[in-house]
Amino acid sequence: FNFPTARYDDDNNNNNRNETNSKWLDAHYDPVANLYTFSSCTGLADLQGDGENKLVVGDLGTGVYNMKLKVYKGTNLLSENTLLDLPTGVAIFLMDQNEPLTPAIAVASGPYIYIYKNLRPYFKFTLPALEVNPLEQEVWSQVKEDKIDPVTLKEMLEGIRYKNDNLPLFKKSFRFLMLDMQETEAFVNLHKHQPIKRQTFLDTPSYFAKSRSDRRALTCTVLCTYSNKSLHISSLFFFSLNTQMSLPSAPAFLDVTGQFDVEFRITVACRNGNIYILRRDAKRPKYCIELSSQPVGLVRVSKNVVVGCTNETLLGYTQKGKKLWTAYLPAPITTMSLLDHKTRGLQAVLVGLANSEVHMYRDKNLVNIINTQDVVTSICFGRYGREDGTLIMTTKGGGLIIKILKRTAQFEEKDMTPGPPLAQSIKLNIPKKTKLYVDQTLRERENAVAMHRAFQVDLYRLRLTTARAYIKNLEASLNPMSSSALEPLKMNAVVQGIGPSFKLTLNIQNTSAARPVINLFLSFLYDEKLYSMKTSFFKIPMLVPGLNYPIETFVDCLSDKGISDVIKVFVLREGKSTPLLTAHINMPVSEGLSAA
Amino acid sequence: MGLFDKLASWLGLKRREVNVLCLGLDNSGKSTIINHLKPASARVQDIVPTIGFSVEKFSTSSLSFTVFDMSGQGRYRNLWENYYREAQAIIFVIDSGDKLRMVVAMEELDTLLNHPDVKHRRIPILFFANKMDLRDALSSVKVSQLIGLDRIKDKPWHISGSNALTGEGLQEGVEWLQDQIRSMKT
Ligand SMILES: Nc1nc2c(ncn2[C@@H]2O[C@H](COP(=O)(O)OP(=O)(O)OP(=O)(O)O)[C@@H](O)[C@H]2O)c(=O)[nH]1
Ligand SMILES: [Mg+2]
Repeated sequence: FNFPTARYDDDNNNNNRNETNSKWLDAHYDPVANLYTFSSCTGLADLQGDGENKLVVGDLGTGVYNMKLKVYKGTNLLSENTLLDLPTGVAIFLMDQNEPLTPAIAVASGPYIYIYKNLRPYFKFTLPALEVNPLEQEVWSQVKEDKIDPVTLKEMLEGIRYKNDNLPLFKKSFRFLMLDMQETEAFVNLHKHQPIKRQTFLDTPSYFAKSRSDRRALTCTVLCTYSNKSLHISSLFFFSLNTQMSLPSAPAFLDVTGQFDVEFRITVACRNGNIYILRRDAKRPKYCIELSSQPVGLVRVSKNVVVGCTNETLLGYTQKGKKLWTAYLPAPITTMSLLDHKTRGLQAVLVGLANSEVHMYRDKNLVNIINTQDVVTSICFGRYGREDGTLIMTTKGGGLIIKILKRTAQFEEKDMTPGPPLAQSIKLNIPKKTKLYVDQTLRERENAVAMHRAFQVDLYRLRLTTARAYIKNLEASLNPMSSSALEPLKMNAVVQGIGPSFKLTLNIQNTSAARPVINLFLSFLYDEKLYSMKTSFFKIPMLVPGLNYPIETFVDCLSDKGISDVIKVFVLREGKSTPLLTAHINMPVSEGLSAA
Repeated sequence: MGLFDKLASWLGLKRREVNVLCLGLDNSGKSTIINHLKPASARVQDIVPTIGFSVEKFSTSSLSFTVFDMSGQGRYRNLWENYYREAQAIIFVIDSGDKLRMVVAMEELDTLLNHPDVKHRRIPILFFANKMDLRDALSSVKVSQLIGLDRIKDKPWHISGSNALTGEGLQEGVEWLQDQIRSMKT
């Protein structure tokens, strides 16, 4: 293994230490460890009850060969178990409480969960097979009896595939469809006798304490199955599935918190770009977060959820799905993991980036950047060996990097990311909702229908009253516009002056197209104790269509008490008592007289 | 020291008192080493991880040692510096099987050497590369290389491989320490 070379012989060298070195000690780096894995396939636990935590890695190998379950102790490989299929997730859980406590390892791989205890295979748990399309089954059984040739088989499978998209084909059919024509014959001969089964595929298993939250509590595993869009919660120590929850899409990342018997919360990032939050007693997701781009990692930090997206952003949400913040990253995310240092009360999110850096975020603040020798593909932080703050990373090239958090390392909460100033995130002091407001809101929510009805009734009443008044006005010609076909007239009145003398100007207009109007009279009605007028009745000249006729007259106010009244103006036709037009002029208060 | 005291100590009638500080990471074997240095009658059977620190006494032919056996756990390591001033010698224990934490041991040694109460004193430091019996243990030469002992220029130091379970290597180290202390002027 590679030792870090002895550093700083004198004090001068200390000043040259960069930001990263002042926080982390380089404990180990093996560039050729041959470890190819991702964060959900790694774990740390005291597997042998000797007080030393081991590192468990589900190694993907080349993806075809060399899939292994590896266990490391310190810098050495302690044990290796060959896996038959790609591991998709690793969970470490407690199966029994015999002293010394020795946790078991669960490895999800294909349709199986392999359980290892004391570093040896212990149990294989097969997930129930899924329903198979009967047509597809029929086709394959005919192949078995050599009734159809590969060409027809291909056509029929294609047909089934396009007709029925909610029941996907099984693996064998898919592989057959991918083949070139000349290879199909051999494939059919090789595979026609295999039974047809479509299996559930597992994604990340994750776990939570069953009922008690102490170290000895037995744990439950949540299994995320791929093809039937559902979550299984199974207690691996009874080896039976007990709860199932369905999801609108295939799950990709999973986080579980809480206790199975009391209350738990499962956060799942799905392939459709949404995050669903499930709670106990709910068969359906309780909250949904819609992301603008695909999730590539999900980490829960105490009560918040941090999601990394393909568009190089890191988003913070509350556990109820409310967005808190966005951080912009300099490169695409390769992996994410939680840094939880319990003895120091330090929690942060570690984000591996494609530019060979690992960024450490506390909320939206970037608090540390770790430069790595290669692009990091998996991150695991926790107690390793006897050291609480150990950071274990594997790289794209199969390397293993182990760093230890310095005892004296302090992370400042200062914002290193460019972006809006801090002041922008300070909460405004919004007053609390009053009881009255709350009561009112509640009342509105409860009686919404009744309130809407009452409002509608009142609205119709108002419209009816308005319509009635309008009709009445029209019938009594109380309006300043005549609508009769013979004498279409318009009038408006202007009062000028401050009193006691006022000038009244009445603008009368004939709005008809061509007919002039004759024989009209103008009459005023007013309180004679208040006002006097020289002439209160006169004849209107002939009104030519379109022209405006200003008719002026003078009114004197007789009162000095500062009161005013209405003067009514009527336009009358000779020989008729009902007016054609009526105008009410609200006289202003006479100021001149009171001032005098 | 008066003429009589000198004579007495030379005759082995009265031993000189020395304060020794025993440091090192948790699980390195500090308490086990000290337990083994005590007379057989005073030894305890099982050793548990030390909480805080404990004070032990043992003596050699000419010296009477008072040892402050510090806990090596991370959360207690900040207690160490409170005892630097009183200490006349330091025993630093390293688990030669714990390759991963060599950097941590080196870091703690660094902090020790740079502390104002230690930095400018010619205080002797005895290193035990303990647990030599483990199958994958590093040799004492390798250990001294890894934690960079050659950088200590102004203090007498010595490293001996040890096995605290059998006591192998302990005597050699303690004799070196005794010689160092006796040669120190008082
Ligand atoms: N194989 C082997 N085991 C040892 C040796 N020395 C100590 N041990 C074991 O290491 C473990 C820790 O020893 P301790 O003496 O308690 O270690 P410590 O340095 O006092 O630890 P703290 O008090 O926690 O700082 C015990 O289980 C010892 O039996 C050794 O030389 N060889
Ligand atoms: Mg001890």
